Amino acid sequence: MKFLKGFRYAGVVLSLALMSFSFAEEQSSPHSLSGAFLNDLRLIPVQSGGRIKPFDEFARETILALTGSRSYQSFDPSEMLISMMVNPKAWSQEKVIRISIPEVNQQLLLDPSRKFFTLEELMKNNAFLQYAEGIRSNGMAAEQVTSTGVNAVSGKKDPRSEELKRVVDRVERFQGLVTGRLWAITPPKDKALDGAWSTLADAMASPSEQSLAVVGLLKSYLEGNVDEFKTSAAKVRHSIEDSMPGFEQQKSKLLAEVFYNRLRPFLQAMIFYLCAGLMWFFAGKHAFPRMMAKFLTLAAVMVHAIGFGLRCYVAGRPPVTNMYESIIWVSLGVMLFASLLFIKNRQVVLMGTATFLAGLALFAADSAPMVMDPTIRPLVPVLRSNYWLTIHVLTITISYGAFMLAMGISNVCLYFFTRAAKEGESTQISQRIALLNQLAYRALMFGTVLLAAGTILGGVWADYSWGRFWGWDPKEVWALIALLAYMAVLHGRYTGWVGKFAFPLWTVICFSTVVMAWYGVNFVLGVGLHSYGFSAGGQAFVTGFIALQALYCIYVAILHKKNRSLEAHA
Amino acid sequence: MLKKIEFSLEKLWSILISLKLAVMVIASLAITLATATVIESSYDSKTAQYYVYRASWFYGLLTLLGLNILAVALSRLPWKKKHIPFLMAHAGILMILTGSWLTYINGLDGSLRIAEGEVNSAVELDQHVLVFKRGEDIKTTPFEWLPEPATRNFKPINFDDFKVRVDRYVSDAEAKIQFVPSTDPTLKAAPAVQIKILGAPMGGAPELWLWAGDPGWASQKMGLARFLIRTEAQSDLSVNPESSGGTPEARFDFVVSKNGDLRFETTSIRGEKQTGKISLASLQNKEEPVIINPGWKMPIRVQVKRFVPSGVNLTEYVPVKIKPVGMGSAIPQPAIQISLIKNPASKLWLGLGDRADFTDVDGSKVSIGYFPKRVILPYGLRLRQFEMKNNPGTMDPAAYSSYVQVVDQIQKSESELNAIPTHHITMNEPMAERGYTFYQASYIPEAPRPTTTILSVNLDPGRALKYWGSILLILGSMSLYLSKVFQRKKVKEPVAV
Repeated sequence: MKFLKGFRYAGVVLSLALMSFSFAEEQSSPHSLSGAFLNDLRLIPVQSGGRIKPFDEFARETILALTGSRSYQSFDPSEMLISMMVNPKAWSQEKVIRISIPEVNQQLLLDPSRKFFTLEELMKNNAFLQYAEGIRSNGMAAEQVTSTGVNAVSGKKDPRSEELKRVVDRVERFQGLVTGRLWAITPPKDKALDGAWSTLADAMASPSEQSLAVVGLLKSYLEGNVDEFKTSAAKVRHSIEDSMPGFEQQKSKLLAEVFYNRLRPFLQAMIFYLCAGLMWFFAGKHAFPRMMAKFLTLAAVMVHAIGFGLRCYVAGRPPVTNMYESIIWVSLGVMLFASLLFIKNRQVVLMGTATFLAGLALFAADSAPMVMDPTIRPLVPVLRSNYWLTIHVLTITISYGAFMLAMGISNVCLYFFTRAAKEGESTQISQRIALLNQLAYRALMFGTVLLAAGTILGGVWADYSWGRFWGWDPKEVWALIALLAYMAVLHGRYTGWVGKFAFPLWTVICFSTVVMAWYGVNFVLGVGLHSYGFSAGGQAFVTGFIALQALYCIYVAILHKKNRSLEAHA
Repeated sequence: MLKKIEFSLEKLWSILISLKLAVMVIASLAITLATATVIESSYDSKTAQYYVYRASWFYGLLTLLGLNILAVALSRLPWKKKHIPFLMAHAGILMILTGSWLTYINGLDGSLRIAEGEVNSAVELDQHVLVFKRGEDIKTTPFEWLPEPATRNFKPINFDDFKVRVDRYVSDAEAKIQFVPSTDPTLKAAPAVQIKILGAPMGGAPELWLWAGDPGWASQKMGLARFLIRTEAQSDLSVNPESSGGTPEARFDFVVSKNGDLRFETTSIRGEKQTGKISLASLQNKEEPVIINPGWKMPIRVQVKRFVPSGVNLTEYVPVKIKPVGMGSAIPQPAIQISLIKNPASKLWLGLGDRADFTDVDGSKVSIGYFPKRVILPYGLRLRQFEMKNNPGTMDPAAYSSYVQVVDQIQKSESELNAIPTHHITMNEPMAERGYTFYQASYIPEAPRPTTTILSVNLDPGRALKYWGSILLILGSMSLYLSKVFQRKKVKEPVAV
């Protein structure tokens, strides 16, 4: 009952005590205890962001929006939200609001070295208040609806004003939370499935059964009464569940979502993958580490697939509508193709490369929640309930997995060329090179067939729902460019112009067209009909990756050429 | 001589069937397309279409690819069983290219706007025309969209004995309203005043024109305040036909006397009045702006920028400053300035969708319109209802759809109309009717709910060819892959490191 102890203390200096309580909680007791008394709270259904979600997810999204990271210190998200509502004053002095761009700090005359600010600081900042007022009055006028259902008028995005807008949104969220505007608690009486729920703030004027229960919940938290807290959380949960339209269909989804959030399957898969990758590379011929590597890989793929399945189930659709979701799918694709190739060629290097790539991809997805939004959102109209769309996107993105695998194998192949240049060409090395060439080629073939099929299916879908097979939209054009690039390499290989060295080199270079089709169109070009996937951020990371690859290619090419000319002289 | 031709033909053939050409064409296509997307990103999609996707050299490149594929396929004659996957894949590409060409030549892709309860059969295309009309005489000339810069010398266009020239062209235009003094007796002239409202609560300093020649122009409401212009002869009520609906409003009246003097009368919400004279000399002085305090509780000041005692509306078009990105009804439209060669004084701006009368030196008149090209369907569509659903608890549209009826004759009574079966067109479920397909594309946003739908209308004679080509290509490339896997001798694979 650390909770109670912490809370009595909290009565004296609430904000400080809240933190100390939380630390004590984390350090001295396992999660299960906090899970036991937060269980009902986490499962309270909330209508937010266009769908019904458990309170746990609502809390996580709110905290992600405020702080830009997945958690604040070591608070449980659900508990933190309740604490913020109960004690807004103390929380407004906590540094929870993130400003990610130093230029914004300068514009607001704030310390540019800090990343987090308190609500109070911002509310006392005149520059910020003026800007917020400006956004409130002008923001609505710029809205415009297009056929994709996306707000399209924004001109070229200026990162500084975009961030300022986000900061204003963070402050509004904070205020919305503590004033009860954010938390929708009462489903409409007429049981309309898509009717708006009324919020806690609405209930101030006309109290409902749910709002009374919520007030009881908040009160018990303030008083630090654990038993009361538990029972009132259950009361809130059941009273909302009872008045919710179509609860029976939602019930297992809510449970699944809380489970998914607690499990964090992709984080676990990432750790397994990276460990497996190391095992594969360093196992050599030893039987035991190879066995371990196999088991770790199997465990990683299973957790990965379970997470994918859960996400499908909760969202009610395959998760491939934004960058985060597509990385999950693509890395699963890398494992799929590696496993297919592994059946025929039992090569350690294949699995090593694949697990490493999958692990790194999941790491990238997990490490930047601000850039790659992990929250499950409802689809825009044009993407809804469409069989062809699902097939098209799944096919095209999984081809990226095959290209990624080919790129990884080719990089390893290039590494053997550097060894050949340094150590001289032994039969062992040239055998390796031939084998890696063959593997990269196979992976590339998987990729091109799927990319061609996926691009064409995209045309079929566009024809079906928009009436044009092909409209030179940047996203489809870049998919075509990637396809053409790989086609040029494959035809070149067929005639023999692209040899054992040039093939892996070009495979690595051509992967940049996939990066462009996958990431660049949405994050760099930012035009076209696929605007429902547009976002910003991560440029430095991706440019760094491309630059590193380019340098590596140049280095290997120079080394290889020198080696060749030496051989010719000899 | 004959040998020489034969030789060069053979050479041409050997180039056409070479894989080197294939790799070069594929690579240059990829580079071209990459450039086009960069153009689209830095300008807009219309510019990219103009310079690349709809340019004739780009079609040439695609044709070259098609010829190359055809030649390579023919060079493998006589075909054997092992050639089947290769032939399937490449025939697929040829069919897709041919299908696209058919779509380009004979296809139709336009949009149809219908308001609830109305019937429409005019499909607007993405092509523009100039329409000349004198009496019953009508002539239509295509005038396509061009990217910036628009300082081009357009060829004069002849219509009967009129010679018309396009003087200026703005590819993405916005209207700039202004009133200028006029001596032309045929035009309706009236006093006009341009004001700037300072200290508006919504931020910014909105500028507006008030013109006494038309009730719609004479009175404008901003927040709680109404600004209007009237002559002394006009009674207060005649210029203000809209009633304020019972809500109190502050009033700022500009009153023009018979001898052209300008004075103002203000009324606050509580009815306090204030009047004053605006001297015309002070308006000439650009350095000291004329700013009037209406004496209201709100901290609003009114700057009088220009006064035209007898002005006519002259709307000019200027390039838009910020181009909106994405598709939608607010995409800026082009505008042209047209003049008659014989009578350069008859010069007017036409935004896309405008029509105006031009007068020649001999007094004869011609009406010139600048419109999107239209195709009239053999039947009309009537919108019974437009329906929009939002995501639960938000204002984000979740789905929108139209209930439409196919109407064959225009003259039908209400009850007859209601008896026609209704089709439901939703985002992913189009309606097909006599060769044309109708898709739910967009709508015109309106409060409290949108009532005008925008359907996209499509006729695609190349569709079947494209679909069969796609199937062949996918099947062909799959079997090409499988045959490679089984054909290849197993490479001696070393034992794992």
